[in-house]
Amino acid sequence: MIIERSSEWKEGFIERLDKLETWDNWSLYNMSYDVVKTNLITEFTGLQSPKYLPNLTPLRHQLEVAETVIERMNGKAILADEVGLGKTIEAGLILKEYLIRGLVKKALILAPASLTNQWIDELNQKFYIPAISYKKNYVLDDYTVVVMSMDMAKKSPHKEVIYDQNYDMIIIDEAHKLKNHKTKNYEFVQNLKKKFCLLLTATPIQNNVLELFHLISLLKPGHLGNIESFQSSFSTNNHSLDQDEYLKELVNQVMVRNRRQDTGIEWTNRRVLTIPIQFTKEEKEVYELILDLKNYSTVFSGSFSMITLQKEMCSSKEATYLTLNKMRQKCVDPDEIAYVEGIIQKLMTLEINSKAEKVFDIISNANDKVIIFTEYRASQAYLQWYLYSKGISSVLFNGKFKKNKRDWMKQLFKDQAQVLIATESGGEGINLQFCHHVINYDLPWNPMKLEQRIGRVHRLGQEHDVHIYNLAIDNTIEKSILDMLYVKIGVFEKVVGELDDILSAYKKSM
Amino acid sequence: MYPQQIHSYLLKFFQENDCHIINGNDHYFSVQLTIDMDKKIMNRPFYWRYLENTNGVPNPAQLTFITDQNNLNEDIRGEVVHFGSPRLNQIFQATKDLGTFVQMYESVLDIRNTKTILTPWLGVNYKVSYYSDQTKEMLHSLGINLITGNLMNDFHEWLSEVDLDSKIPEDTINLTYIIKPLRALERLDLVVEQFIHQDDDTWAEEAKSRWKKDREVLEHFYEGVENKPECYEMEVKALEEHYEARIKIEIINGGLFYMQ
Repeated sequence: MIIERSSEWKEGFIERLDKLETWDNWSLYNMSYDVVKTNLITEFTGLQSPKYLPNLTPLRHQLEVAETVIERMNGKAILADEVGLGKTIEAGLILKEYLIRGLVKKALILAPASLTNQWIDELNQKFYIPAISYKKNYVLDDYTVVVMSMDMAKKSPHKEVIYDQNYDMIIIDEAHKLKNHKTKNYEFVQNLKKKFCLLLTATPIQNNVLELFHLISLLKPGHLGNIESFQSSFSTNNHSLDQDEYLKELVNQVMVRNRRQDTGIEWTNRRVLTIPIQFTKEEKEVYELILDLKNYSTVFSGSFSMITLQKEMCSSKEATYLTLNKMRQKCVDPDEIAYVEGIIQKLMTLEINSKAEKVFDIISNANDKVIIFTEYRASQAYLQWYLYSKGISSVLFNGKFKKNKRDWMKQLFKDQAQVLIATESGGEGINLQFCHHVINYDLPWNPMKLEQRIGRVHRLGQEHDVHIYNLAIDNTIEKSILDMLYVKIGVFEKVVGELDDILSAYKKSM
Repeated sequence: MYPQQIHSYLLKFFQENDCHIINGNDHYFSVQLTIDMDKKIMNRPFYWRYLENTNGVPNPAQLTFITDQNNLNEDIRGEVVHFGSPRLNQIFQATKDLGTFVQMYESVLDIRNTKTILTPWLGVNYKVSYYSDQTKEMLHSLGINLITGNLMNDFHEWLSEVDLDSKIPEDTINLTYIIKPLRALERLDLVVEQFIHQDDDTWAEEAKSRWKKDREVLEHFYEGVENKPECYEMEVKALEEHYEARIKIEIINGGLFYMQ
């Protein structure tokens, strides 16, 4: 056993004995002893942090997570609560506990750029942790708790500077961005020394169970075995998991996940409607023509661009046009060009957007604030114009907005506009509890993106049932997307646990 | 510590350090710092260096502390201080610095007109911290009689029942110590170590077995890999720092006590 002691007191004592220094005040001597006695941490277990945080009333499940992570997981864990249950609070409690106990002296928090300010605010205001935002040319030695964007951290020279720091604790927000082990993000985190480490994500599996393997291997290499043994026992085929229970148990040793219904809080319901939409005859014709393009030109033979075009056609002619026009410019053969231009012409003469009309119906019926999520900027702009023509005011939102602009748009939506139209990347980091209608105008391939979207409004503080409208056009690629979404949700639920309704039981009849 | 406790703690701290309390009530107060206290807690060494070099007129700060914001009715601007706030920690630290070494004498009531004999003791308050991936702390207050070498536990508790003064009382005979204070300190250091050795070390054993388990898991991950990458070495190192059991012995404060 290592025993550390210091001779500092002895030296001071000698100076007093030799009358080189004066003796101290008896009252202060007593006060000093009393403070140490009052603040003494007499038990290895139990949380000290709550009594240091008068401005924070943690919820029961948040305290439980902090205790579990510290006492059962030794401070290395994936915090995977559903969106909106307060993972930041949980991480803050854990960090504070270790700071108080003196086990963590220096901590690094990595988050998407759009969330770094939120972290700084919460740590400083709720937890009295003097966190600072890393800027170029900062000397990291001087700061104990630093928040940094992942994009900046993984690049030189910041990367090397971070490696030189001896961080006791690493917290990574939105950790699902580490699911791919071939990325720079992954490599960067893999080479970080991780003593105490928290990975935060509501969606530890997005597409297949291997993502969870890579995430856990980052946290605790070997916990799920090595890649070969893992694949042979759990997943040669992603979608069939024989040893579900065993895997679930292993996962639960390093991951805590609360679902809404576990929290003991009265949650409002989710009312999910999947709404089938029929194309007009003219829209249908253009969709078929586009589908058929691969038979006319090699430019359109790639399946990725074909899928994109089909999805865009289900969204708006504006979105379709941008891609189609770009691809036309790659055509060389004059016949091909003429053919594609013919389609573009047909496309541009379309007067009705069936989906947009449905959106108008929904908004009119709701007669309340509504959020629309679309995957395309062109559709976003179109929808704003279309709704404006119907007398409905809206604001736009996307992830590239700076913090000030985000806050401003949120305020505009709250005070003035009826509708907020967000692109996919606008899905993270805004909280809009004052609204309870969500329209998924386009469906993403990934169910967790849907969950992230819904989580913007269905979170602590929501007082109404949340209405979710998933729009899908009959006999198009959107039907396949719906099917795929169900399969992926199945994988997630087997390993991680149930998801709240995100798609509704409409499936059977589709 | 509750707001009330913090309030009286701060008041006492400043009064003991000769800082004048200007005004206040149960929920806030304003205090005029002395030059020494300003230097200690205001973090402005350049100001003081400049002032001393230019022979300027010193202007130590006035501070207002709000100890109970919830019950504050007045419109007061000031620093909100609560348990866990950096300012309070700083003042805890200042208290520690200013109350580390004492020399005290038992006050003697002179009734029979005879000389009272006072015996010297060395008293030391130790804080022992146990660290692995978890931590706990223990306080040991020990005293040793510098004439007989007798040891006493809970020494500080005993002291708190006695009336003590920093001045030598009249009509007492203060025995000169036989055991030198530094020798006695070494004795007490050993006693603390003995406590540690006698202590239940299950916590260290448990940390060791958690360490071993995690190490096995790690080895399994790199099974059959001949040239293990750098991140493997790092994981090994991280596990060591994470789980290795350490004990830190700190002296809070201590001093010489002349007792009946």
